[in-house]
Amino acid sequence: MSEDKDRVEGYRQQSGKLPFPRPGSGGSRGTSDLRDEEAIAGIKGTNEHKHDDLVTGSAVGRPTALVDGRWKVTGQAHYGDDVRLPGELIGRIVRSKHHYARVLSIDVSAALELPGVVAVATGRDASGSFGVLPVTKDEHAMAQEKVRHVGDLVACVAAVDESTAREAVRLIEVEYEELEALHDMREGLEDSDEPIHDRGQYHIGSSNVQKRVFQEFGDIDGMADNAVASHSSSWKFAGANHGFTEPHAVVANWDPSGRLTLYTPQQVPHYVHRALADVLDVPMHQINVHRTFVGGGFGGKSDPFPHEMCAAILSRKTGRPVRINFDREEVFWVNRGRHPSRIDMNLHADSDGRLCGIETDALIDGGAFASFGHVTTYYNGVLHTAPYEIGAFHYTGARVWTNKPASGAMRGHGAVNSRCAFEVGMDGVAEQLRVDPITLRLANLLPPNSATITGFRVTSIGMRECLERVREASGWKEKFRKLPHGHGIGVGCGFFISGSGLPIHWEPNKFPHATVHLKVDMDGGVTVHTGAAEIGQGSDTVIAQSVAEVLGLPLDMIRIRSRETDTAPVDLGSYSSRVTFMNANAAISAAMEIRQELLEAAAGMTEAPIDRMVIGDRRIYMRDDPKIGVSYLEALHKAQENKGALVSSGAYRTPPMGRVHKGAGAGIAPAYSFSAYVAEVKVDVETGQTKVLKVWAAHDCGKALNPLSVKGQIIGSCHMGLGQVLSEEMKYGRSGHLINPDLLDYKIPTVHEMPEVVPIIVESNDSEGPFGAKEAGEGPLLPILPAVCNAVYDAIGVRTSELPITPDRVHRMIEDRCKQEGMGPLDLVSPVLQHSELQATLEARASEHAERDSRRASDPDPPDYNNGALFGFDPEIPADEQDERWVVSVTPDSGYMESPRLAGSAWKHTERRHGGGS
Amino acid sequence: MRMPPFTLHTPGSLDEALSLAGDLQSSGQEFDWVAGGTDLLPNYKWHLNAKSHVISLAGVSELTELSRTHIGAMVRLQDLADSNDVHPLLAKVSSMVASVMIRRSGTVGGNICLDTRCFWFNQSEEWRESIEWCYKCDCGTGADCRVIPNQNTQCVATYQADLAPVLMCLGATIHLAGPEGGRSMPLTEFFELDGITRNVLAAGELVTHLTFPSDILDWQGDYQKLRQRESWDFPEAGVAVLWKPGPNGSPSDLRVATTGLESIPGFHSPEADGVLASWEGESSIDELAEAVRKAVRPVLNTWYPPSYRRKMVKVLTKRASSGLLEV
Repeated sequence: MSEDKDRVEGYRQQSGKLPFPRPGSGGSRGTSDLRDEEAIAGIKGTNEHKHDDLVTGSAVGRPTALVDGRWKVTGQAHYGDDVRLPGELIGRIVRSKHHYARVLSIDVSAALELPGVVAVATGRDASGSFGVLPVTKDEHAMAQEKVRHVGDLVACVAAVDESTAREAVRLIEVEYEELEALHDMREGLEDSDEPIHDRGQYHIGSSNVQKRVFQEFGDIDGMADNAVASHSSSWKFAGANHGFTEPHAVVANWDPSGRLTLYTPQQVPHYVHRALADVLDVPMHQINVHRTFVGGGFGGKSDPFPHEMCAAILSRKTGRPVRINFDREEVFWVNRGRHPSRIDMNLHADSDGRLCGIETDALIDGGAFASFGHVTTYYNGVLHTAPYEIGAFHYTGARVWTNKPASGAMRGHGAVNSRCAFEVGMDGVAEQLRVDPITLRLANLLPPNSATITGFRVTSIGMRECLERVREASGWKEKFRKLPHGHGIGVGCGFFISGSGLPIHWEPNKFPHATVHLKVDMDGGVTVHTGAAEIGQGSDTVIAQSVAEVLGLPLDMIRIRSRETDTAPVDLGSYSSRVTFMNANAAISAAMEIRQELLEAAAGMTEAPIDRMVIGDRRIYMRDDPKIGVSYLEALHKAQENKGALVSSGAYRTPPMGRVHKGAGAGIAPAYSFSAYVAEVKVDVETGQTKVLKVWAAHDCGKALNPLSVKGQIIGSCHMGLGQVLSEEMKYGRSGHLINPDLLDYKIPTVHEMPEVVPIIVESNDSEGPFGAKEAGEGPLLPILPAVCNAVYDAIGVRTSELPITPDRVHRMIEDRCKQEGMGPLDLVSPVLQHSELQATLEARASEHAERDSRRASDPDPPDYNNGALFGFDPEIPADEQDERWVVSVTPDSGYMESPRLAGSAWKHTERRHGGGS
Repeated sequence: MRMPPFTLHTPGSLDEALSLAGDLQSSGQEFDWVAGGTDLLPNYKWHLNAKSHVISLAGVSELTELSRTHIGAMVRLQDLADSNDVHPLLAKVSSMVASVMIRRSGTVGGNICLDTRCFWFNQSEEWRESIEWCYKCDCGTGADCRVIPNQNTQCVATYQADLAPVLMCLGATIHLAGPEGGRSMPLTEFFELDGITRNVLAAGELVTHLTFPSDILDWQGDYQKLRQRESWDFPEAGVAVLWKPGPNGSPSDLRVATTGLESIPGFHSPEADGVLASWEGESSIDELAEAVRKAVRPVLNTWYPPSYRRKMVKVLTKRASSGLLEV
């Protein structure tokens, strides 16, 4: 028997009740015990491109209109609130009016007496907990004991129409005992009499710390000593909401055969499926989750939601379909937007212009629930360990509960804020070193097929080309530090996962990450069953393209069935930018099986050797004698003889990756995307108003399967990121209330604020991606924030460390600078750059590295390259195995705890099971 | 969001509208006028002081006349923006209101009578319940003002309409009609300082039109608007500066008005007269801008903090005055 108490020895056969790791503050082990080193595969990818032989030229790489586009523009697409079932009832939710309170009693009698009210449900109707992460299931359909933010769910009603339902909500009397609310995330680090949640023995002290992370890699002690330039900044990031067009809407129907169908615009139907089974206490096979068209998700529709549970509970109670549609305000109560954050970022560079250290301390405000926060806490650190080679990485992160609507995953999950702080720091370091910031970046990039300091396996890297192309396209050399006062240009980069290597619900060796089924019948059309959630990002299109490409068919012969969990194989959903990489890979595998059957049939019919047969446009023929061949339908009908429709199943699973320290799984991905943007801005020095004029946006997506979609994602990401940098902000007023839960005062940029964006697609052809592709959905958001901040500095010489840069904030910084320099805003001069000697050194190193990278990108079996080689270590061995000064540590020592930084101070508490708290 | 139920009346003429109003009043029923509906209906959806009767002016054709010296209350903002007959600054400022869709619905009279705004007030019923209501819509609770607690004698919600400052500077006269008859007054005397009362309109009265003196085209000037987004955001501050060009490059008359800063628009005649008497070009503009900045008292109830809005009044005043240096 294994001594590992967490190891699963077999598993119960009841679906929906699969065992998961215990809850805890990051796993049940408090230390960084090493796992079995032998189980870990090599650190590098290869350059073997496995899909090269499958290219037929029929679909991939062409700008393609989305296959569901016409459904949307003709109004035939049914979104969540378009579903109408016979006899439907309208559900409304009773929400908390207090930030934090104990629910003493709920009197529903008056509501039930109102004519037209059919049912009322409260927390007593469903006591099961759920949450998107199995380790932090801290949500319930409705309040069990406490409400934790204004807008938290207390009860729900079902009535014959909306007016009656709304009236019933008013009639429900809830008696509360108010508790002292917590609004400032810094207070969440302290012990509390009444922590917002109680995690039992895993609770961290008596605090509101939900998750804490400590990581030290590299030459920690040496980083300050080795530095000749250091940039320190303390950032404040406001919370942001996704601002998708379609408010949440759900229809639940417990049908006559005793099964539940839930119609919902979900990014992740599978997790709702699991959560419903838990909360309703029914087996998963009794539930069908029907994903409707999704009017925008961006991470905001990827948790299982309490209102989805409410609809199901009400439908079960009434035996009728129940529809719940949100007001915009309710969307803000659900939130799951970007975490309000306080991030301290120190960057150190040595005399050779190498990044000898990064110190990041990130305190993030989780609001009332855990949501994806466990992961966010890691991502705020680990996702800026690339694309640069670094000498040391020190990260402390903590996520605290506060009495606000829950933060969660939002496009660029966890990477956006710290990336902004980091890239602005790069600009600051470049300025101190008196070198061009693009040159500084080009001279410090990791090469293709390398490993980062924390052990991420990075395969293809198009970072260098991204930087070079935006430098060229923007006229950088003529503009940087040379534009007149008030007019500036800035650069920023990004790095993002292309599919989470360790997905949330995934039992190793049991399920693949993605599965695709194909069915081809005598009509010749191909039906694709996939659970990949089309959320407007184009996943149906990209999967159709992949199948069409392999089978040599036009796109209109492929039909996607991706809506229902009843028919779709399990898919882990549209998050972590995983769909193109994982589902298209699975689709290709499935199509390869059909392709083989077609080739065999064609070879049999023509008596030609199968290895010389190729597939073209609806025809299968001999490569060297194309007149010998059969049509696609002839081959298909032959292949169908005696067995009918051809069916196949393809799956994708990530290779084993990463190192073995605690938290090593956070941030590993089968591939990573890279991007570099240059933004040009004008700042009105008298009002502080920033206008973004133009953005040159280069993104390495591996291979653009649908260039039209990739460009759309780049432009859309720019818009979304610009919102966060310029004006979007969830504002909490004096009393802790969210004062702008509406789209007039939650200020998403309009067409007037949108600059021209020049999308530049860079293709690094990833060896494991489908036809070489990587993600393009989230990574492109990252660089726009720092690019704008750096451009503002170039324009007016003030360095922001607070987002959004609303005019009042910029104006305050300008005033401060005016005071310092004793002059008016119109007399200020913008920064200048006189290159130091280091510039030439860096240019030489950048061009050497360019050669190195191009060599490694084409070498079929490149030698290992570990982060640290730039600092003189043997690239084939991790630096920490070569030099004892290079540490790997995931728990703070007493030395650190003498003067911890803000988020780091979360480690002053001891977990209850180890003797902390009460 | 759902509006509370109300009875909609759709009179076809001004007389009919006024007699309807008179009937409702005499039977003790409260009502609201609705013109374009772009202000009233969102507030109704939020259940803000909704009434059980609403009289629509959409069918009242007498109120749509538009000429250089006469603007009917039911003229759509977009028609004003597109007009070649009216003072060009009036067309310009109208084009800066909200977005084109709202301007096609919203009216001149509605803009002048725009309800005051406040982030403690312009919220859903559930939201306002969570702060235990506020003075402007206390729902019978006698709730205190949330912006400046413990004063409760006056509502400080902010007037955020664009047209008023320019109209005031152009010398507009506003004409009202009611069941008791009509009356007229300079627009500068129409507003009454309180975020709830807002103006002199008595119960049952409505704005019919504006008229302008015949020298309207002698006035030159500009309107400057502060806002986050150049689309449908309300003004966080707005300054109109208009003047009549005089001899030797100095103005012979000067008027300044502001909006978005207090519960009513400000007409700053002492400040304007103060610098006009001894006009010295640029330094007079600086002096004027500083005087206007001192004259306004914004509070924290809109998107930008009041300290910033007040500072910007100075910048906006200077910018709106910049044409004076080209005279």
